[in-house]
Amino acid sequence: MIGCYDFCGHYEWTFGWLEGAGGHELVRAYWDEAIYRDSQMHATKLIRDKGIPGMLEYWGHTLLEESPDLGFTISHTPDVFRIDFHQCPSRGFLIRNDLKQYRDYCDHCMGWTGPMLADAGYAIDHEHNHRGQCWWEVRKAGTPGGHSPIGAVAGAKDARSLPHWRPPGAKLDRYDKANDPDRKTGPGAPDSGTR
Amino acid sequence: MAATHLPYTDTKPQGSADFYFAINATFRFLLRRLGREGWVRYLQDLGRDYYAPVNAAWRQGGLDAVAAYWRDFFAAEPGGQVDVVRKPDRVELQVKVCPLIHHLRTHGRVPVPEFCQHCYHLGSARAAMAGLEMRLCGGDGACVHTYATSAAGLPPQDLTQIKENAP
Repeated sequence: MIGCYDFCGHYEWTFGWLEGAGGHELVRAYWDEAIYRDSQMHATKLIRDKGIPGMLEYWGHTLLEESPDLGFTISHTPDVFRIDFHQCPSRGFLIRNDLKQYRDYCDHCMGWTGPMLADAGYAIDHEHNHRGQCWWEVRKAGTPGGHSPIGAVAGAKDARSLPHWRPPGAKLDRYDKANDPDRKTGPGAPDSGTR
Repeated sequence: MAATHLPYTDTKPQGSADFYFAINATFRFLLRRLGREGWVRYLQDLGRDYYAPVNAAWRQGGLDAVAAYWRDFFAAEPGGQVDVVRKPDRVELQVKVCPLIHHLRTHGRVPVPEFCQHCYHLGSARAAMAGLEMRLCGGDGACVHTYATSAAGLPPQDLTQIKENAP
């Protein structure tokens, strides 16, 4: 039996297997078809029906289950929904257990939430440092704002204020008003030569 | 976490059951995109590669290691009822309530028809790497897995003995 206790381990392994079996397009299709449209169909319904209150309901529940020691903070205003991860439960699992089959595990979040939020009418500003710290801001597509100043939405819980946000050697991936996992900018971007 | 026979450990004692939705969705995706043969190949590769540390522990520790692993495994999975029984020539996992099927059904999710066969394709690949054999009978929420040495003389696996999952 495949278990849920080490889910993040075999989930990450699966990305690498899929890439070997069918290339990058098969990995993207997996995030879109299997995770967004099938596994997380409950998230889709909540967010399409309720908008930001639905995001609060979905991520409030699912992150509490994954990270009962609260390695994350959720903030919101009427116009923006924000999550700051100080200790991502799934990336943290991979780091602690020294598991790496796929080149960039962090891409999976944009891989399924990007299309889901696009279909619900939202766009994403996001950065992650591949060390278990990241932040997300979700706003209605076409509205102003994005990459808010440090502390403006999350206060002292803003991941960018952590002393280890940009440790030496860390590769910061950045998304601007994005919904596509391949639309990253920064050192990890597809055209940067460092991928 | 206390000392464990699991190869990969987390900071919390049990996993999040909603991840079972993703396991089922992964199977549905693989079956649709790559067919049954591709799905079986995925499970066999997963068994040989991702679970390599467990397979090595089983090869070294034999059936006692198999029993110890599965006891820790099911302790970390929420919602199941499973007895791990060590017999002289085999280990039986007597699954009264499968945590995975239970969670899917409770939340109105439909398992792929082949769902329960995954335990055989995965388990037999892992057993082979450890010099053991694995058989499965039952399914759709209750079943028996058997891990044994070749000396136990298990009959060949009859895949019709594994129930398909009703819609």
